Amino acid sequence: MNRYTPVWLFIVFLIFFLLCGCAEAPGEIESEMREEGELLTVRLPGGDWGFPTPFAHYARGPGVSHMRYIFDSLLEKDENGLIPWLAEDYEILDEGTRYLFYLQPDVHWHDGTALTADDVTFSFNYYREHLPVWIDDPLILSDDYLLSVESKAESTVEFVLAAPNATFLEKAGRLPIIPAHIWSEIERPDEFNDPEALTGSGPYILNNYSKEHGTYRYAANQQYWGPQPRIDILEFIPVSDEVLTLENGDIHFARVPADLLERFTDNPLYEIMEQPAFWGYRIRFNMVGLPEFQQKELRQAFALAINREELVEKIARGQGIPGSMGMLSPDHRWFNHNLPAYEYDSGKATEILSSLETPARESYELLVGEDAEVRIGELLKEQLARAGINLTVAPADLKTRDSRIIEGNYELVLVGHGLWGTDPDYLRQRYSEETEDWLNGTPGYNNSAFSKLAEKQVREMDEEKRREIIMEMQEILADDVPDIPLYLRVTVNIYRRDIYDGWIHIYDHHEPTHNKLSYLER
Amino acid sequence: MKSRLLEYLITFIVIITINFALPRIMPGDPFLQLYSAGGETTVSYTEEQKEYFISYYGLDRPAGIQYFSYLGGLLKGDLGFSYYFKDSVASMIFRRLPWTLLLITAATGLSLVTGVLLGSFAAWRRGQRSEQALYLFMVTISEIPAFLVGLVLLVLLAAGAGLFPLAGAITHFSRFNTTWAQILDILHHAALPVLTLAVARAGGFFLLVRNSLGTVLTRDYMRTARAKGLPEKRIRYRHALRNALLPLVTRTAMQMGAIVGGAVLVENVFAYPGLGRLMYEAVFVRDYPLLQGIFLVLAVAVLAANLLADILYRKLDPRIVSAFKAADSPAVKNRSGN
Repeated sequence: MNRYTPVWLFIVFLIFFLLCGCAEAPGEIESEMREEGELLTVRLPGGDWGFPTPFAHYARGPGVSHMRYIFDSLLEKDENGLIPWLAEDYEILDEGTRYLFYLQPDVHWHDGTALTADDVTFSFNYYREHLPVWIDDPLILSDDYLLSVESKAESTVEFVLAAPNATFLEKAGRLPIIPAHIWSEIERPDEFNDPEALTGSGPYILNNYSKEHGTYRYAANQQYWGPQPRIDILEFIPVSDEVLTLENGDIHFARVPADLLERFTDNPLYEIMEQPAFWGYRIRFNMVGLPEFQQKELRQAFALAINREELVEKIARGQGIPGSMGMLSPDHRWFNHNLPAYEYDSGKATEILSSLETPARESYELLVGEDAEVRIGELLKEQLARAGINLTVAPADLKTRDSRIIEGNYELVLVGHGLWGTDPDYLRQRYSEETEDWLNGTPGYNNSAFSKLAEKQVREMDEEKRREIIMEMQEILADDVPDIPLYLRVTVNIYRRDIYDGWIHIYDHHEPTHNKLSYLER
Repeated sequence: MKSRLLEYLITFIVIITINFALPRIMPGDPFLQLYSAGGETTVSYTEEQKEYFISYYGLDRPAGIQYFSYLGGLLKGDLGFSYYFKDSVASMIFRRLPWTLLLITAATGLSLVTGVLLGSFAAWRRGQRSEQALYLFMVTISEIPAFLVGLVLLVLLAAGAGLFPLAGAITHFSRFNTTWAQILDILHHAALPVLTLAVARAGGFFLLVRNSLGTVLTRDYMRTARAKGLPEKRIRYRHALRNALLPLVTRTAMQMGAIVGGAVLVENVFAYPGLGRLMYEAVFVRDYPLLQGIFLVLAVAVLAANLLADILYRKLDPRIVSAFKAADSPAVKNRSGN
């Protein structure tokens, strides 16, 4: 053996290893025009989000939208609001306590069985016994509230409620309808993962799913009763980096960070699409543990001392908009544009702080989650220091942070979440005196004028009148500042326009791939 | 050997108990999800929903009863049902395990070969310039965190040169004409994760072989061998290397835990469907049954590797057996006060 033999052996080994990478390097991606009759396949970034039945998809992430490709609901959402779906029409009677839904004729399940009013009543009664993973408010199913749900004819369903509720239409209308002939014998629905569990009435049929690889393959339902699916095959594959994979041509839709946008701006293959700002960060005060936070002046001082524009610039790299103290997202369809702006003014904040009845403490602990939240925390620490408030940033993982919130074991906490575009009844749940628990409410915050309005809007069945009340509620919140919305993310999507260009945003959700209408003829 | 097996059994029982207790001690609750991260939307459960799921999955029973029903299930080979992933824990683990085993064994093999080859080269050329350069190089790359190596390889070899796929373990939704084509596809996907893990591990093996061989080379029996006029090749590979490799066996077994840790990071970088990635997700959502199951499998794997090292060591070094025999005899036990 030569003295350099080990090194040579190593080099040969390495070369062999590199040669394993025998795939051809991808050249420039060319526009892929389809031949007549060829199937249109669209590939999206995937990952495992669970077996897409109403009981087995995962609680986090887009599992619920996968389920909705397969299962239809009575109503759907488009760019402007709720639209008829399985129910071609509905009537609201007896001052909002009785609903009649009239079903589309000739709707069939994927196995060919007819979908009838009995399937709708079965679904609701089954959900009363077995909660689905995603339900906006389980109270709408409770026996005290939903007094009865009955089929009145082959295609008419009647709901009788104990009291009117402006959000019932959306909450009940969006529950997936499941086939009685398949689910009626199932005792533990989360464990039911036979292929027949995926029998829905929706535009897509799942024909390949791998839990470990995180892949889904849907085929268009050729017999779909509604608007026809435009994409023949919809595939979800796992990706390590969305931008690299998009450039590679392996996926046709991606989220792109601000710093990489330039690579796509002048390329005719790609279309850039900005999402509405429905995902954001806010700061919550512990008004029970630290009674000084019950003074709205102190909370206002915090709002003035925080430079939200700077957070957008530095943390979101410009991909965001500052939050409004009225709490609804500025992109919300019922956003009140005439609210105080709370422009950054550390001088004014210091002034308020010096004239408080119960003075603020010298320092506070801000509980934050991981990654971006730690960076937000550090920037807030700098900003608040200028107004004389010392902040220590305490990071925790999401679950730990959530459990500390539930215990009321924090001083200030930074939280990030979605659904800022949904029905504004969340203002009632969050800030009314009626909800005093740490899980859903804001303990220690009491404003009876607000609570009265909050209770009034939820019973108001006239949409225009309800909108007026919501405007007023935002004014109160903007003055009280029970929480401080920091900023809302504006995610930018890029898609291959030569492959598919039907992406739309429904009125209350940020992600165009999550709604079924993005895949259908309009 | 009997007492060794008893030790392993006790360790095993302790591990099961810790496995059961640990996820429950961690702050956080599997059904509490208030807020999300990274633009994800989450179902935010109300008090009623939380109570419903807690009683549905039997978490409202006393901890003692939960523990014994867990043990009862284990005896029947039932690892439980995942709260979050809604699937049987055993089937989830066994569909993921082969991928992680592939990564770990290939990476261990590759780093061992590299470590031994380069380590022995360095020992024989100790003090020379080429050896010093190699030493510096190996120490440097072994200190770079595995995920960083992974990212660099991903950008250079997969995205830049297009030699390897960007993610996953197979080409999805494709049919292969031959088994050979399928095996090639799997190897092609595993190449970068394996290389990443191997780079992170090779440095340790290199240093060990270099030092251990360095010590062996100064031993008297080396001089004897040379004096006997044995050929250099035989001295190096039969006399020196064989003796120097003993610590490597222990090292490999002891590194099982560390390499699994590395696999967690690497699998996440390459979106590779192994156990490590699953563990990361399970911790994130506090899925007790799945965490228990994964920890159990990993613990058993590490214990098995240690046991294997014990047995191998006896085979390789006859002195150990006689030492153990002596230790097992009552006279020695009394003397050492046990």
